[in-house]
Amino acid sequence: MLSIEHLSKDMGEFVLKDATLQVNDGEYMVIIGPTGAGKTILLETLAGIYPPDSGRMVLDGRDITDAPPRERRISMVYQDYMLFPHLTVAENIGFGLRNQKVAQPEIEQKVAEAAQFLSIDHLLHRYPETLSGGEQQRAAIARAVVMEPALLLLDEPLSALDGRTREKLRRELRRLHDAYGITVIHVTHNFEEVFSLADRVAVIRGGEIVQVGTPDEVFRKPNCEFVANFVGVENLFRGTCARKEGLSEVTIEGVKMVSTALADSEMVCVTIRPEEILISPQPIGSCARNQYSGMVQEIADHGVTVRVTVDCGVSLVVLITRQGYLEMGLAEGDAVFVAFKASSVQIF
Amino acid sequence: MRQPNLLKAVTVGVAACLTIFIIILLLLVVTHPSPAALLSSITSREIQFAVYLSIVTSVASTVICILIAVPSAYALARYDFFGKNAVNTIVDMPLALPPLVAGVALLLFFGTTPIGKGLAEAGLVFVFTPLGIVVAQVFVNFPFMLRIMRSTFESISPRYEYVAKTLGCTDVQALWQVTLPMATSGLIAGGVITWAKGIGEFGAALMLAGATRMKTETLPISLFLNMSCGELELAISAATILIVISVASLYVFERYGGSTSL
Repeated sequence: MLSIEHLSKDMGEFVLKDATLQVNDGEYMVIIGPTGAGKTILLETLAGIYPPDSGRMVLDGRDITDAPPRERRISMVYQDYMLFPHLTVAENIGFGLRNQKVAQPEIEQKVAEAAQFLSIDHLLHRYPETLSGGEQQRAAIARAVVMEPALLLLDEPLSALDGRTREKLRRELRRLHDAYGITVIHVTHNFEEVFSLADRVAVIRGGEIVQVGTPDEVFRKPNCEFVANFVGVENLFRGTCARKEGLSEVTIEGVKMVSTALADSEMVCVTIRPEEILISPQPIGSCARNQYSGMVQEIADHGVTVRVTVDCGVSLVVLITRQGYLEMGLAEGDAVFVAFKASSVQIF
Repeated sequence: MRQPNLLKAVTVGVAACLTIFIIILLLLVVTHPSPAALLSSITSREIQFAVYLSIVTSVASTVICILIAVPSAYALARYDFFGKNAVNTIVDMPLALPPLVAGVALLLFFGTTPIGKGLAEAGLVFVFTPLGIVVAQVFVNFPFMLRIMRSTFESISPRYEYVAKTLGCTDVQALWQVTLPMATSGLIAGGVITWAKGIGEFGAALMLAGATRMKTETLPISLFLNMSCGELELAISAATILIVISVASLYVFERYGGSTSL
């Protein structure tokens, strides 16, 4: 278990203020925050690159606040890989083991295992510059996990990759975590990574950790305006997903929704942007795949826009313009129809 | 018809003229004596001595420059410390200083100060000796090495070292196993430039080590001595060797120096 207690560090441009956080054994903790929020400085302080100004770090009962990086059993993976360009992939992965004076045959065996797990075993003799971004990041992850660290730090590991590669590597990270039960702190500004990877999520802003909880808790019940605006996801549901005619059909508390997005697993999270939902007092003549009837639960007037909450088995938040709202003359308790396209349903 | 680009024509023309002028100058020197005369001069005892002394002193001074410049460049690239800006400016000073002035300063230091006298008593005599040539070359040339290594280290993200440290390296091991190998092209480029400048060093060496035939006679000194007493063939053979060395080192710098900048 890692506990970070009142950790502060001032580096001028980036700061960390009184950060307190616990990460349990085998937990996948995602830290999310905007650019410049102090995410990297938190990881680098944990890794021992800089001494903190104040506070303590305890890993598995051992105070590591003043320990040099090499004695912490913490490995780190950066967004831009940081593979050593003068070493082959195999030498990169084995770099840490060689420093620990592990016998050569054992190094080779461990390197081969890690490379195989990450599907880069055919690239071991190559130099990093000849690899694609995704392959380089796999090599960097392999280099970190062969050390069997007590804690693995991932600094925006997927941010430099293109869409499909990112998706694949995200699944690999999940698989790696499940297979080895490594404790992970993963820093990102990308919400999808929170939904698909995190056991718990911490929101960081201006060097302060403002909220910690399960993704559901943080996204549904932001504890302050910053988190609400930053994570600002409405119409977030958990459901079970099935394939149907090339589409996904998600069942949420008995309500079925169709999505064009394809899911990796059966348990999924679904979001629909409130402005992409049509609402009308009459049945909607639209080819949208998702159509429901319900009752207006709540109307919140925000000036230019109006937020209407509709109960149609699940609570849907719909955002409409003030003009549209006045023309329809909606009131709480009215029966209404809502519709949205299958392509508006995002699945994580 | 397309409008001819006047600016392009003029600027390319200037660059082309400059290139042709340089080539003509080099060819003039090399082709001045007959090949047989050139060969016999090059194999003469005096020129052989000058070549030998030039190579020994320039290699020694290059090694010393590397030993001084690499640590200072690393400190200037990686750490913040009090007076860093001042240090950055002052270590570049010998570049701007006329070599003759540097030579006079070195002569005063080794000839008149207690430190210089103490070194002389301990057997390290720098005034009018080959040792003086080495010192003069080091003083005038280490800024080249320093500048190249500083920009090389600055171009290598410190995160490579961070990762190396989490993988079991001490600070020194991270530098030795990761940053220095990554700085190889800078080391080669800096070494070659420093060595080539060392071979050609004249002013500071003349002041500190003097121009004594067959004693402190490096190739440039030999060129100077033989030119002054009308031994044109010997002078030109020394010049020819210097030209060959310059061309070769420029090639190595361009070929292996990568994106290194001065």
